Amino acid sequence: MEPRGELFVLGLVLSIIVLVISVLISVWARRFTRNLGDYYVAGRSIGAVNNGLAMVSLALSLTTFIGLTALIIKGVYIAISLYAAFTASFIGLMILAAPYLRRHKSFTTMAFIAERFGSKTLRYISVVVMMIVSVLYLAGNLKGIGIVFYFLLGVPEIVGIVVGGLVVTLYVTLGGMYGVTYNQTFQTIVLLFCLMFPVAVVLRALGAAGWFFPPLGYGDLVPLINQAVPHYFWPMLVHPVVYISVFLGTFFGIIGLPHFVMRYFTVRDAKEARWSTVLCVFLVGLVNTTVYATGFAAVYYMRTQGVQIPEAAYDYMVFILVDALAGQGWLALAVAGSVAAGLSTVAGLLMIMGAGLIHDLYGQIKPDVDDEKKLKLSYAAMFIIGILVIFFSLNPPEFILIAIMWAFGIAAAGLGVPIVLGIWWKRTNKYGVGAGMVVGTLIGLFGWFTIDFLGMNPVDIPLPFFAKYLYGPLGFIKITGLAVPISFILTIVVSWLTPPPGEELQRQVDEMHGWNDVDPRRYNGKGLPITIIVLSVFVMWFMTTLYDTFPK
Amino acid sequence: MKDYKLEVRVTLICFIIVAVIGGFFSSFIVILNERFFDKVPTPEALIQYYGESMFVAKEHLAVLGFPLHYFLLIMFSWIGVTIIGAIWCLVMDRLEERQRA
Repeated sequence: MEPRGELFVLGLVLSIIVLVISVLISVWARRFTRNLGDYYVAGRSIGAVNNGLAMVSLALSLTTFIGLTALIIKGVYIAISLYAAFTASFIGLMILAAPYLRRHKSFTTMAFIAERFGSKTLRYISVVVMMIVSVLYLAGNLKGIGIVFYFLLGVPEIVGIVVGGLVVTLYVTLGGMYGVTYNQTFQTIVLLFCLMFPVAVVLRALGAAGWFFPPLGYGDLVPLINQAVPHYFWPMLVHPVVYISVFLGTFFGIIGLPHFVMRYFTVRDAKEARWSTVLCVFLVGLVNTTVYATGFAAVYYMRTQGVQIPEAAYDYMVFILVDALAGQGWLALAVAGSVAAGLSTVAGLLMIMGAGLIHDLYGQIKPDVDDEKKLKLSYAAMFIIGILVIFFSLNPPEFILIAIMWAFGIAAAGLGVPIVLGIWWKRTNKYGVGAGMVVGTLIGLFGWFTIDFLGMNPVDIPLPFFAKYLYGPLGFIKITGLAVPISFILTIVVSWLTPPPGEELQRQVDEMHGWNDVDPRRYNGKGLPITIIVLSVFVMWFMTTLYDTFPK
Repeated sequence: MKDYKLEVRVTLICFIIVAVIGGFFSSFIVILNERFFDKVPTPEALIQYYGESMFVAKEHLAVLGFPLHYFLLIMFSWIGVTIIGAIWCLVMDRLEERQRA
């Protein structure tokens, strides 16, 4: 796909303004950083509104802005249901984990796992899992920034990856979590305006009667799209276990993705953590439903107006649509919004990677190092990580959302499961968590390596018994339907077969739930673990049924 | 134990509702609709009439022009979960006040 072919001055100017404001905000926020707690968790002083807005831009990365549109063109309904589950998963994160993690007073997910289960080894393993999922997440987002620059300037995507990566590294290093938080809040506001208005103009150009409210404004175009793409609204093109896998991947993946969880360590208390999520999910839903409209408009535009766009260019589709149907002013807004979306997510990821390496790894290997030295090291580490991530992102995935989906699946099995069980079941111990975490991560990683990295057909990967059931559109998602249940089963069974955790570790569960006293009967029943095992076995069995019912 | 049971029950109910309306609801609607109001499409029918018989956007099941299951998917996974989340927050706020007292 060729770029626009000329320097897009207006888009470039707006993008530079977004970049400059981001750096200035970090410089301003630097004054609040006095110690390590300020640098990593903003002194635990962020309010519900600020945190909710910051979470929105963290959630709405470039993968939403441009990747989802591409996926809707390819996968149609299943792509939409995937993002519907992603929207709802924020409430799952809140109900199962957010306020409890805030009460635990950890800095990071890795610190929570180490302290809750009393194991240094688990801390190191979780740092490795965190690095894997963060790099996968980053690769997708930095490629997104590259796409914007390519379309904008006609320069290779690599230039965009390097420039965008350097800017975000600079402002994360300078401002720490205060800078990241205020930047994410600013970027959410930019993103909302820069997405809603151009999409409304596109829908108007296509003749949609409800163009002024994009999330629900394209209903009158449905009959035409049904003629052009008869299966657009047909959910049963895939085996139902795909939906179950999507649920497992999003609901437990978001709990396992440390950059989402880290936002909850920055708020004042558990109540602020809860209400920030409600604000976040409302705005995330607003933006996601607007992106569904963009995906619909893209398919509609291509099918009803006979426009041929190669599959490799689907990631550019938002810009192609806005350019063709709305005009340059709106395109400039869309480009600036994309830059803001990309920067905010990359910043959150860099932050958690720096915290993981300095606080959870170096801080444990050399516990005598004082906070002042750790803070100085954090500045250096953050900068070095930024440079390394740019280097790793030079070979990005073909479609940016695919890498994110793998990150969710691996995070769900590797980190989401131990966090949920650690909060809701006192009997969970370090042996069970170690077994579930390692095996769950390895299954997800094996899937990514064979299918995404080596490019094998999912049904041909060397996975005994289950490989042939990974057929159909987006069939690789079913790997999550294996990894998460197996992680749950192993964690529970091994925990049961090994000695229970000490009283001090079990006491943490009562404290996380806000109780002033300790009662051994709380969160210690057999109902929850048995139900989880039964459901996990059911999911794996269900995957192997109805084989002849769905298109291969 | 009374407050503990309240916390667990409210959390369980809210999580199940959010999981269903955020993840599976749309497929349930379609499956049940096909099962009880239309013929269940056999594999042969799916393949034979692929692209024609797979219309699920029936006029009497449309809201604002959208197929009912699609409309419910996007509204429940957005407004629906926001409301459920807010209700859960209110209950937990009260529980927290009681715990402090």
